[in-house]
Amino acid sequence: MHKIADVEIQHDIMVANSKLAGRNQKILDDADVFSVDVLGAIGSGKTSLIETLIQKMDHNIGVIAGDVISKYDAGRFEKYDIPVVGLNTGKECHLDAHLVKHAFGDLPLDSIDLLFIENVGNLICPVDFDLGSHIRMVVISVSEGDDTVEKHPLIFQNADLVVINKVDIADAVGADQDKMVADVKILNPDVKVIKSSLKTGQGLDEIISSLETFMKQ
Amino acid sequence: MHELSMADAMVKTVLDVAEKNDATEVLEVTIEIGKLTMLNPEQLKFLLDVLVENTLLEGAEINIVEVPVEINCNECEYTGAANMDDSDHYLAIVECPECGERNVEITAGRECNVKNIKIEKEEGDEDA
Ligand SMILES: Nc1nc2c(ncn2[C@@H]2O[C@H](COP(=O)(O)OP(=O)(O)O)[C@@H](O)[C@H]2O)c(=O)[nH]1
Ligand SMILES: [Mg+2]
Ligand SMILES: [Zn+2]
Ligand SMILES: [Zn+2]
Ligand SMILES: [Zn+2]
Ligand SMILES: [Zn+2]
Repeated sequence: MHKIADVEIQHDIMVANSKLAGRNQKILDDADVFSVDVLGAIGSGKTSLIETLIQKMDHNIGVIAGDVISKYDAGRFEKYDIPVVGLNTGKECHLDAHLVKHAFGDLPLDSIDLLFIENVGNLICPVDFDLGSHIRMVVISVSEGDDTVEKHPLIFQNADLVVINKVDIADAVGADQDKMVADVKILNPDVKVIKSSLKTGQGLDEIISSLETFMKQ
Repeated sequence: MHELSMADAMVKTVLDVAEKNDATEVLEVTIEIGKLTMLNPEQLKFLLDVLVENTLLEGAEINIVEVPVEINCNECEYTGAANMDDSDHYLAIVECPECGERNVEITAGRECNVKNIKIEKEEGDEDA
């Protein structure tokens, strides 16, 4: 005899990820590590900004290089003689908490106090996947067009710090940088928005002092 | 987009539960997908149909239920269904229907939930 049964599952993949992310944050807290999830489109300057911060900030910094081309990015970080793990996301369009947990195993967390996690270059897919980081820093650039913010509202609503990079070329690409700032404020009035250029150094001090403030909280 | 990895995780979840419940066949699977997950239900369904080949799930009816977006507005007191404009943008824009602001907290619409399954199983030995 066969019988038919209904089985309730209620397994939400997003919720499962959030739980893992919570555990990741606990691991970081136990090791006194402050962690920043760095999100943004391909080529917005995520790797360049992290490289600059490694040189300018007086902390023991570690990096999880999670962009699709992480081997290449990991090489850029390694030359600063800091702990770096490249995550091979392959064809995946976002990092998730499970992948990040694996990376922890390859990092000397006890000797790191600031951990940057460079997410996959994508303004949509990573939004729903918390990694367990303490803050999310979104890095976009004027060269992506000044309608970038309007078109990708969710990532800005979930950001703790927004960097609008490459303002040195704003005029050249015809982008209205102040419109981009205003668009972020419409979505998330309390978030700190910083205009920066890694070519001229504009905005860097402000980014550093914001990160320092978050670290003290 | 990440339909493939999501579909893969869903199939694994269902197979796991089906096996634990000694299913001989899975007849039906119901999955809830929030409107804001950016998962395309058509694409998801196609991938699920491919991934279930040669598994216990082969032939199961897969129901994908879209979950509408709900918000708490941060600008006014509104709570409930959101206005959504997905007409001319790649990503849906969510607005408060009361005040028109976009500074809102999203309370529903991000689900990616394997809700339940209907299985067939051999009658247990207990009443034999
Ligand atoms: N003009 C200009 N170029 C920049 C700036 N920041 C980064 N870049 C360049 O943009 C390109 C992509 O940067 P990268 O850090 O690899 O971007 P990622 O894909 O977000 O990691 C590189 O050629 C950088 O030199 C900036 O502020 N101004
Ligand atoms: Mg990079
Ligand atoms: Zn993805
Ligand atoms: Zn694993
Ligand atoms: Zn994706
Ligand atoms: Zn409102």
